[in-house]
Amino acid sequence: MRIYGFQPCREFHIVVLGTGGVGKSCLTAQFVHNEWIESYDPTIEDSYRTQVSVDGRQVMLEILDTAGTEQFVAMRDLYMKAGQGFLLVFSITSQASLDELSTLREEIIRIKDDEKIPIVMVGNKADLLDQRAVDRKEAFAISQQWNAPYYEASARTRTNVDQVFIDLCRQMLRRDDSGYNDDDDYNGGTRNGGGGGGGYGCGQKQEDGSHGSMMKKRRRKRKGDHKCIIM
Amino acid sequence: MSVMLQTPSRASTGSTTSVQPLSRQNTMSSYEGSRSARQSKRYSMSALYMSMSANESDLIIEDELARAQKVLRDLKTKISSQSKKNFVLEKDVRYLDSRIALLIQNRMALEEQNEVASHLEDATDIQEGAFPNDDRTQKYGNLLFLLQSEPRHIAHLCRLVTMAEIDSLLQTVMFTIYGNQYESREEHLLLTMFQSVLTYQFDNTPEYSSLLRANTPVSRMMTTYTRRGPGQSFLKSVLADRINSLIELKDLDLEINPLKVYERMIEEAEAKDPESPEAMLPKGITQEEAAENPKVQEIINPRLTMLTEIANGFLETIIEGLEETPYGIRWICKQIRSLTKRKYPDANDQVICTLIGSFFFLRFINPAIVTPKSYMLIDGTPADKPRKTLTYVAKMLQNLANKPSYAKEPYMAKLQPFIHANKDKVNRFMLELCDVQDFYETLEMDNYVALSKKDLQLDITLNEIYAMHGLLEKHAGELYKDENSHLAIIMSELGPAPPQVPRKENRVINLPLFSRWETAIDDLTAALDITQEEVFFMEAKSIFVQIIRTIPANSSVARRPLRLERIADAAATSKNDAVMVRKGIRAMELLSQLQELKVVDKSDQFALLRDEVEQELQHLGSLKEVVMAETIKLEEVYKTIRDHNAYLVSQLDTYKSYLHNVRSQSEGKTRKQQKQQVLGPYKFTHQQLEKEGVIQKSNVPDNRRANIYFNFTSPLPGTFVISLHYKGRNRGLLELDLKLDDLLEMQKDNQDDLDLEYVQFNVPKVLALLNKRFARKKGW
Repeated sequence: MRIYGFQPCREFHIVVLGTGGVGKSCLTAQFVHNEWIESYDPTIEDSYRTQVSVDGRQVMLEILDTAGTEQFVAMRDLYMKAGQGFLLVFSITSQASLDELSTLREEIIRIKDDEKIPIVMVGNKADLLDQRAVDRKEAFAISQQWNAPYYEASARTRTNVDQVFIDLCRQMLRRDDSGYNDDDDYNGGTRNGGGGGGGYGCGQKQEDGSHGSMMKKRRRKRKGDHKCIIM
Repeated sequence: MSVMLQTPSRASTGSTTSVQPLSRQNTMSSYEGSRSARQSKRYSMSALYMSMSANESDLIIEDELARAQKVLRDLKTKISSQSKKNFVLEKDVRYLDSRIALLIQNRMALEEQNEVASHLEDATDIQEGAFPNDDRTQKYGNLLFLLQSEPRHIAHLCRLVTMAEIDSLLQTVMFTIYGNQYESREEHLLLTMFQSVLTYQFDNTPEYSSLLRANTPVSRMMTTYTRRGPGQSFLKSVLADRINSLIELKDLDLEINPLKVYERMIEEAEAKDPESPEAMLPKGITQEEAAENPKVQEIINPRLTMLTEIANGFLETIIEGLEETPYGIRWICKQIRSLTKRKYPDANDQVICTLIGSFFFLRFINPAIVTPKSYMLIDGTPADKPRKTLTYVAKMLQNLANKPSYAKEPYMAKLQPFIHANKDKVNRFMLELCDVQDFYETLEMDNYVALSKKDLQLDITLNEIYAMHGLLEKHAGELYKDENSHLAIIMSELGPAPPQVPRKENRVINLPLFSRWETAIDDLTAALDITQEEVFFMEAKSIFVQIIRTIPANSSVARRPLRLERIADAAATSKNDAVMVRKGIRAMELLSQLQELKVVDKSDQFALLRDEVEQELQHLGSLKEVVMAETIKLEEVYKTIRDHNAYLVSQLDTYKSYLHNVRSQSEGKTRKQQKQQVLGPYKFTHQQLEKEGVIQKSNVPDNRRANIYFNFTSPLPGTFVISLHYKGRNRGLLELDLKLDDLLEMQKDNQDDLDLEYVQFNVPKVLALLNKRFARKKGW
C-alpha cells in the first residue's frame, strides 16, 4: 500500500494567447524544454505537456501554444473552451500587441462565462529595454483592472518564465481546492450529444420562461492577486 | 487627329477586358510574357485604343466573344457587390454572436437589448440618397477621388489608426474605394497601397524575427483581400476537394504526439479489458518515455506515412496551382522578395522564402486548411480527428516554408523526411510565385483613362464617408501637415466631420468622382508621349480587328492570308450598315496615311500590320475559351458567396425572432400579454426533412422511412414540440420539447447534432426550418 505520493496528480489546461510575434512559443519552449528558439517559425498550433511542482504539489500541465496570426482566429473558440487558465502575452516593444489583449480577455470571459477565470498577463521581451514602447505602469494598471497579476518576462534571458506559469498554476489550484466546480470547463471542448434523451431539453418538459440548460455557477472572491512582478 | 475619348461609363473601365483584354490579361492573371518594355507599351497602348473605341456605342461588336465577355463582366460586378453585402452582414452576425450568449442567459440590460435590436434592423438594403447640396457632393467627390487615386494617403492612415478603428476603414477601403475586385485600376491602386505599408513595415521592424508577424491594420486588409473573389476561387479550386475527402473520414486518427497516443492506447485498453497489460501501463510518463514504447511506435509509424502522403497531395495541388494563383497575391509575394533583398542585401533564398511563406502559407493557404469552414470551403465543422489531421498538414506545409525548430514539439522531427524531400521544390515554387510583371505602366495608363472619363463614380454610404472624414480629421496632424497640399485644402473646405447617422437614416450615395486639380485629359496622345505613326498604326489595327470580327468567318473576304485593302473596301461598301461603312472608310484612310508615313508597305501586302492583326485575332480566338472557362469558375464563386449570404441572412433572422421573443416576454410583465396562439402542428415527412438536410442521419430502415412523419408545433413563442409518428399509430413514438435558447446555444457551441433517437437532426437546419415556419409577427 502506498500512502506517500499517491495524491492524484492534478491536470490543468493552459492556453497561451497573444498577437503574432510576441514570443508565446519562446516562452513556452523555455518553460517546458529550457530551450531558446532562434529561428523564424510561426506557430499554427503546438501542444506541450509537462509536470511541475507547485508549492510541493505535482501538477500536470497541458499547454496549448496558439497562432498569433489573426487569420487563425476561427480556432480561438475551441481553445478557449478547452482552457482552464490563460497566459495573455504581449511584447513590451509594441503598444498594439498590448491593445489586442483586451479583446482576447473579453472573449475568454464570454466563452468561459466566468469573470474570475485564472489569467496571467505577461509583458515579454523585457530584455529589449531600448525598444520599450509600453510603460510598465500602464500595463500594470490594466492588469489591475482585470484582477490579474502582471509579469514582465524575457524568454531570451529566461527571466520570470517559470514564475508566470507557476503563478497561473497557483490560481488554478486555488480554485480547484476551493471546490469550484470546473468539470464542465474541462469537458467544454468535447461533445455532449449522443445517447438518447439526455441534455438540451430533450424529453423533459421545462417550465415556461426558465433557461434550464444553463448551469449557474458559484462565484468566489479571490484575494491577494494584485501584484506586479518585475525583474 | 483627335483621340476617341467619349464618356464611357464606369462599368466599362472594368470592362476594358470586355473587348480587348491584352493589358488586363497580363496583369490580372498571372502569366507573363517576356516582352520588352517597348513592346509592352505598344501592346497595352493598343489595348487601350481598342477599349476606348469599343466604348463608343456605335462600335459595339456583337460576336460570341463579346457576349461571353459581357456575361463575365456582369458576373464580376455581382461578385463585388455581393461580397460587400456579405462583409457587412458578417459584421452584424459577429456582433450578435458575441451578444446572444448573454441574452440567452437573460443577463442583458434593456438598453443593451435595444442596441442589439438596432443591429437587426433591416439594414441590408440601404436606400439611395443624395447630399442636400451640390457643394457637398463636389467636395466629397473630390476627396474620394484623391484618396482613390493617391493610395499613399490611405497607406499612411493605415499606419496611424488603432486596431479598434480599423473596422470601418477596412470596409470603406476594401469594398468601396477599391471595391471592384476585378477591375485592374482599383486592384492596382490597392496593391500600391499595400506596397507602401509593407515598405514602411520593413523599414521600421528592427528584428528579422518580427517581420510580418504582427497583426496590423494592413494585415487585416490583406486578409480581407486574400478572401475576396479571386482568392476565394483559388482556394476553392486548390483545396476544397482535398479537404472534403479528408473530413469524410471522421474516424481516421492520425495523432502522432506519442503522449497522446500512449494515453489513448491505455484508455482503449481499459475500456476493453482493465486487466490487460496495456491497461496496467503507468500513467504520467514523459514524452520521451512514451515515444520509446514499442506499441506506441507501432501505432505512430503508419500514421507518419499517411500524413506524409496527405501533405504531399496538398503540396502537389498547391504547386500545380501556380498559374492559377491570383495576380495580386503573387505580386505581394514579389514585393516581399524585393523588400527583403533591399533590407538584407546578403539574404539567401532560404531567408527570402521564409518571409514569402509567412505571407503565402501562414496568412493565405494554411488558415483555409485549418479552418475551412470560415473560408467557405466546406459546410460543417470538421470532427475532432480530421481537424487534427488538417492541423498537421498545415504545420507540415508551414515547416516547409520556415526553418522548423523541433525544440517546440520534438516528435515533429519524425516528419523531417517530408521536409527534406520537398524543401527545394517549395523554395523554387515560392520564387516562381514572385515571377509576375509589375503593373506600373498599365496603372499609369488606367489613371489617364480614368482622368479622361467624365463620369467616374463611386457608390458609398453616408456613414462610410463620414467615418473616413472623421479618421482623416483625427489624424490631420500626421496626414496633411502641409496646408497647401490638396488633401489639406479639401479637408479645410469640408470642415468638421459630421457624426455617424443612425442606421435607418444611412443612405447610399452615388458620388461622382473628379479631380479639380488635374484637368481632364483631352489629348491622350500628347499625355502619353507617343508618336503620330504609332497612333495611326494602333487605330488601324483596332479597326481591322473590329471589321474582321464582324464579318462572317466563311465569307471570301475573311480568307487567309488577309488582304487588308480588300477588307477595308468590303466594309466601306457593305449595305445597310452605316457603322461598317464608316469603319471601312476610316480603315482605308489609315492605310494610305500609314503608307505615306512609310510605316507599312503596299507592295508586301502591308505585312507588318497584317501580321499584327492576325496575331490579335488568334489571341482573341483562344481568348473566348479563356473567358468561358473563367465564367464557369466565377459562377461557382458567386454561388458560394450567395449561399454564404443566405446562411448569414438566416442567422440574422433567427436572432431577430429570438430577440423579439425575449422583448415581448419582458414587455409582457408590465403589459397584459397578448393572447398567445398555438401555431401548428405542421407535418413533415421523413423524406422532406432528409431532402432539406434537417435529418442528417437516420437509423430508420429504408423500407420504413415512408411511414415516418414529424409534427412541429409551437405552443408558445420560443417553444416548440417536435413529435415523431408512425403511420397508423395514434400516439407518437417520441416527443421532444425544444426551446429556442437551447438550439441557439447548441449552435453557438458548434454542436450540430440534435438526437431524436431514431434520427439525428442538424441544428442550424432545424433553426432555419423553425424560423421559416413559425415566424410570428412579434416573437415566435
